[in-house]
Amino acid sequence: MASELGPRAMFVAGGTDLFPKLKRRQFEVDALIGLDFLGNRVQRGDDETVVDAGVTLAAASTTEALRGEFPGYAEAAGLVSSPPLRNAGTIGGNLCVDTRCNYYDMTYEWRKAAGFCIKKDGDICLVAPSSSRCWALSSSDTAPMAIALGALVMLAGPNDERELPVAALYRDDGIDYLAKQPDEVVTALRLPSGRGTRSAYVKLRRRGSIDFPIAGAAVAMTMDGDTVASCRIVLSAVASHPLEAPEAAAFMLGKRLDEETIRRAAELAAKPAKPLDNADLSHFWRKRMVRVVVEQALARAGDQQPGFDG
Amino acid sequence: MGFAISSYLSGAGTAIYWNDMPHSEVQIKVDRGGVTAYCGAMDIGQGSDSVLAAIVAEELGLQPQDVRLVTADTDTTPIDLGSYSSRVTFMAGNAAIEAARKMRTMLVEAAAAKMGVDPEGVGVAGGRIGDFSFEEASILAEARFGTLTSAGSYTPPKIAGPYKGSGVGPSPAYSYSACVVDLDADARTGLVQINKVWIAHDVGRAINPLLVEGQVEGSVYMGLGEALMEEQTVRKGLHKWPSMLEYKSPTILDMPEVETFIVETNDPEGPYGAKEAGQGPLLPVIPAVSAAVFDALGIWIDEIPVTPEKIVEALRRKDKGEAPRYGPPRFPDIPFPPCIKVEPPPKGLNVAAPAAI
Repeated sequence: MASELGPRAMFVAGGTDLFPKLKRRQFEVDALIGLDFLGNRVQRGDDETVVDAGVTLAAASTTEALRGEFPGYAEAAGLVSSPPLRNAGTIGGNLCVDTRCNYYDMTYEWRKAAGFCIKKDGDICLVAPSSSRCWALSSSDTAPMAIALGALVMLAGPNDERELPVAALYRDDGIDYLAKQPDEVVTALRLPSGRGTRSAYVKLRRRGSIDFPIAGAAVAMTMDGDTVASCRIVLSAVASHPLEAPEAAAFMLGKRLDEETIRRAAELAAKPAKPLDNADLSHFWRKRMVRVVVEQALARAGDQQPGFDG
Repeated sequence: MGFAISSYLSGAGTAIYWNDMPHSEVQIKVDRGGVTAYCGAMDIGQGSDSVLAAIVAEELGLQPQDVRLVTADTDTTPIDLGSYSSRVTFMAGNAAIEAARKMRTMLVEAAAAKMGVDPEGVGVAGGRIGDFSFEEASILAEARFGTLTSAGSYTPPKIAGPYKGSGVGPSPAYSYSACVVDLDADARTGLVQINKVWIAHDVGRAINPLLVEGQVEGSVYMGLGEALMEEQTVRKGLHKWPSMLEYKSPTILDMPEVETFIVETNDPEGPYGAKEAGQGPLLPVIPAVSAAVFDALGIWIDEIPVTPEKIVEALRRKDKGEAPRYGPPRFPDIPFPPCIKVEPPPKGLNVAAPAAI
């Protein structure tokens, strides 16, 4: 159906991002294709846990199947938006959530007065007018965590199915931010079994609820005794895609989790982050805060008991 | 920790209006035991309906739930100028007292006549008027006087002295509040966490203490939102934060514990001494937050909202030996019109001078 209807149709599951954007005329469609048929179960297996795309964020944050083994993922799901929205929003939706920008997430009238931007109806990026690309911000909390946990995402199209590492789902562009085809649907997230994996997610936002991330750090690591055996660090809301910090993660290997190590790793992680003035609060301050959220995430992961099976 | 006090007068130093008519009016009908009070006052959540019912019930010896209210309907209710300026309890309350006391006088007189005693000897309490139930007394009164209706109104007193100004009908009562804020401020991130707020408010008299506390806590909530989050800025000629998602108010997770102290000073002009709890308690919260940030970090943020980035910038300036503050450097140059001086009224003048100038 999606391939027949073309670009004037959009998929909708919980609709918590779609409906406000329809109201502001950021999306203009003739048809909505409901995704109620998607599965909504969390199935634990020996090698992996499969989370159906239709699982609500509320369910993902509270189910013991995820909280025990993947606490960072459950935490990230529980920090998205607010309780009523999490009851409707799905994990599939959060993976695909639209990129955001101060100049884009406004009503039609406001955007017309400001001048349309390159992401919708305009020709230039209003945040970086001399740039040829869109710089809208990746705003998912669960995507960086899924990437850090090495998860796979299942996509179903009109003719076939495929699977990708979650990191490959995203592109570094504010407009074409998903590698998913318009007629494909995310059907499931597969988290590899996390025996011994510690995970934590720290979200920075102005208020304690509702707001999108203005910086965030997802950390997943395993320990060998009291040194770090493996580590992945992924940042949210500092680029148009979830931004992995491989240098910082590599720095952690073989080291103990003391304050100095964490501090230096956080500095390395913050280096490639270049926030622009397209979210809440000043980008200078957000850049400084990237270091802080990485430190907090590393410290929290370090304090955890590793996620055991069962 | 930071501490601030505030005094609040709403709108003007004197309660003037365009005409000489009352600012608030109440009519009461008693119909064989059923009591209905009519008033134009609009309850916008501040509890004016509760206050009206409580006052009428207090004067007639009933419970508030015995009083039926018809309010805020220009077809059927007499005037009340509106829910602004912290005036409704004060003015509608006084009007309600006048109307209710007139009704009480009729009921007491009828009961006294039947009992064969002086009206002074007739007690009004607990749903009874003298030897009779309220319903019995109202039947006696209706037989004696005919249809039982009474009316009350309130106009602020004309205060002596010439004045200049526009008529907005503000309340002639001034409230005072004091606030202490305890917060943690992180010097590295500039993040501020409010731990607790203590607030004392001179309400004159709390007709319904639960409602007053609710109003005070609501003021603290809005004060914190204004101190930390709300911002009207313009970029490219457009409001930068034009919706409730961007222009932020605190969530329940951002609200600290609030301890409220109700101070009663019994204003001589207010109904039972009541003044206001609608707007005054908000005022000291904002400077108390600023003062607490200074106490914590040694820097002044001389504008609101007090955001982490401003704190970080002020600390940077302090470290460099510059003035440890963030905010406008001075008051802007505004071309004020020439100042009009009004002399204070002579002592002993007890008649209002006409509006002059």
